[in-house]
This record gives sequence, C-alpha cells and structure tokens, in this order.
Amino acid sequence: MVTNRINHKWGMVVDLDKCTGCQACVVACQSENNLPINTKDSFIQRRAYEWIRIERYWEGEYPNVKARFIPIMCQHCENAPCEPVCPVFATYHNDEGTNVQIYNRCIGTRYCANNCPYQVRFFNWWEPKWPKTLRNHLNTDVTVRSRGIMEKCSFCVQRIRRGELTVERQEGGKLDHKTMGERNVLPACVQACPTSALTFADQGDETGPVRKYFDDVNEHEHHGDRTTRGYRLLEEMATKPNVIYLKKVDQFPLTNGGNHGG
Amino acid sequence: MSMRPTGKILVLAGVGLVVTVIVGFVMAVVLISWFSNPPFGLGNAPPQPIAFPHTVHAGLPADGGMGIQCEFCHRNVTKGEAATVPAVEQCLFCHITVGGSTESAIAEISLLRETTEDGDPLPINWERVHRLPDHVRFVHEAHIRFFTAPDPNIIRTLINGEETTEPLTVQQTCTVCHGEVAAMSVVKPKAGQSLKMGTCLDCHRENNVPTDCTVCHK
Repeated sequence: MVTNRINHKWGMVVDLDKCTGCQACVVACQSENNLPINTKDSFIQRRAYEWIRIERYWEGEYPNVKARFIPIMCQHCENAPCEPVCPVFATYHNDEGTNVQIYNRCIGTRYCANNCPYQVRFFNWWEPKWPKTLRNHLNTDVTVRSRGIMEKCSFCVQRIRRGELTVERQEGGKLDHKTMGERNVLPACVQACPTSALTFADQGDETGPVRKYFDDVNEHEHHGDRTTRGYRLLEEMATKPNVIYLKKVDQFPLTNGGNHGG
Repeated sequence: MSMRPTGKILVLAGVGLVVTVIVGFVMAVVLISWFSNPPFGLGNAPPQPIAFPHTVHAGLPADGGMGIQCEFCHRNVTKGEAATVPAVEQCLFCHITVGGSTESAIAEISLLRETTEDGDPLPINWERVHRLPDHVRFVHEAHIRFFTAPDPNIIRTLINGEETTEPLTVQQTCTVCHGEVAAMSVVKPKAGQSLKMGTCLDCHRENNVPTDCTVCHK
C-alpha cells in the first residue's frame, strides 16, 4: 500500500574513473524525459536542453593530451540555492531528498536558473517541437513542458513511482534496494551507462552501494581525511548535493603538467 | 435649490449601471466556469460515434443489463495508470454473435461490425468524457487497490466524506468518482463531482496517503 511506503533518500554516485564520455546517458535522458531535440541554433544561443551533460576538459598539450569527462546533472542539493528564490514554490525539496520542479506551478521567473551554481536548469524559451515521426516516441509518464516553464533533472521520479506501483501490485511489498535491483528501477542515465559509472540508490540503505561514499563525504569535511575518492561539486558553496563524484585515478599522469583548457 | 437630477448625472448613473452589469456578468461567467467541471457542463455527454449504453452492458440483470464488471472491458484499470477503452476486438468478441434485439441496437452493432479494413477492425474514435490536464498522472490501479484491499484495519474515507472499513468492490470504487455509470445510457461525469486538485488533496489527506507533488505531477 502506498500508505506505508519507505521514506527514501535518493543519492547518486558518479565514478569519474569509469566515465568514458560516451554520452549514452545524455541520449537516454533525452528520450526518457521528453526533451525537445536541440538544434545548432539552440546550442549557439546557449539554450540547449540537457538534463545531464558531459563536460569535457582537455589536459596537457598536443600530442601529449588527455580528455577528462564529467557528467553533470541536477545535483539535488540539500541546501539548494534554487529553492528559496522561487516566488511560487514551484521548486521544493520533497521527503525523498530530491529537488522537485513542479511544472504547473512554475511561472517562469528564471530566478532558480540564475541562482543555480551548476547550470542544470533549463528554461523553455519555445514551445517544444518534435519531428512528426517522433511524436509517438514521447514518454507518457512525463509531462511535456510548455513554453515559459523551467525544467531540470528529476532523478527520473516517474520511474521510481512506477517501480513502487509495480512492486506493490506484484508482491504487495515496498520498493527497497533489493526490489530496485531486481526490477531495474533506475534513472534512465544510470541504466544506460555502459561502464556503470553512475550508481543510484537509497542513502538510507545501510548495505546500499552509495551509503559509504555519502557517510565518508558527510563526516570528513577535508578531502585529505576521506577514505574514499568521493567529493562534491563546488563543495565550498555548502549546497550539500545528493550527487557524489569519485575522483579519477590516473595511472599514467601527464608529465608536462595539467593545463585545463576548454 | 431643487435636488432634481440633472441630465449629466443621469447619464453618469446610466453608464455606471451598464458597467456594473457587464462586470457582474463577466465575474459570474468566470466564477461559474471555475467551479463547474467542465465549465457550464459543456461537453458533458459528448456524442459518441457508436451509441454504447452502459445500462445494457454493465447494468444489473434485474434492470435488464448484462451485469458485466467494469474491469472486464476497461481491462487496464486494475493493472496500470489508464483505465483504457477496450479494443474493437473485445467488442466483437461478443458482438460477432450478439446482433441485438431492437432495431436501433441492430443498427449500432452493425456499425461496429462494419468499421473494418480488409477484415481487420478499425479503432473507433470514442469521445473522451473525463479529462484531466496533461500535467497530472492519475493512476487508476493504485486507487482501486486502496479501496478494494481486504485489510479491515484501513479506514477508507470516500470522496463524499463517508468512512468505511469494509473493502469495496471494483465497481463500487469506480462509482466514487465516476458515478453510477452502469445506470447511464449516455456516459457523463458524475453530477457535481469536481475533478480538481483540491478534491484529490482532500481525499488524500483524509485517507492519510502521500500528498507529495511528485505522486501526481512528474
């Protein structure tokens, strides 16, 4: 029964050592969440929709050069800078630890996007359009956002809800880590990742795959004290994201020193 | 000095009266359309391409119906989000042999049988009667499970504030929001039943089930 469901606290761990920058997560997200197709123009105008994006950094000088990738999605911050600035409570923190965007409440002030340090909120400047052949590919679980609405990664809340319902219907049970694993109740990006660089699980689950990283990062403020490779993006802003990144382990570091170019 | 109204004041009063009437009319229209669902009952019972009397199919045998359960045709209602309208194949499952007894029934059923293309039945464009906005995902299955669960410890509050510990049948659950469809020859929404978010929230609060936005808005 929905009435006695577990109160989850979702968390994601991104292992940068495993990320190959293949963009499978980007494509999966795009099709799962009814994102309109980005055109060249929308990229040039910096109005492209990418709920998850791969940022690429070059290290070193040609030919002695290495590409570094970092997938960035909504960080679902505990102290989210986007939440207090919304005048209509269209974005808020729910009891599952995720930062929720309610499209029908949104009036499009764009304050949240301006206050987000991770640049992961996207404003619908136009009515979304799909080629005719793609109209039937839309996900019926996800609202098609109209013009004037802010949107962002939702940790695929529709998949979690569907998972809860399926477990309830078939077993009369609750969605916990075990049933999640059996039924693949995962965000689209996590499911699509060929190298399993992304891990999604309940932080409250003692034996879950993300718990130890969150414990470590929460307990040790300084990177040096940490026993895992975990860190958060822009940690100095104290936004306390529910996404943790694991540092890349470079077996063969560049000898000529890192040069972070765009 | 006489207090007889001058022409100018009469004109002003007339203009004021007209403005008041117009503003009042607009406000009345806005308020009625806000509180009635659908506005002014427009499109309440849209004409269907084929007359489908629920009385004959779902009505009790005592009332001259077949007593077919709701979920026999609306198959997905206990399995998923949408209740779903049955495929034509399912209508033909019976109507390949059942031809109707009255003249009008025979005409409608032959209409159903003739909507085929190379022997395959074509889908019928039924008109939608109950409509929710696109940003709401109402899950029929979860609601039916809650009201039909055989657990006597759950106190279930119906939409009209009635409390019951007895599990309902699927048919009874449907009537909570949809009214007595089995007694309708033309389907229309339950009279006076709002399907606005406030109604959903009232029921969710009374039954102590989650009211998080992401339960319905995703």
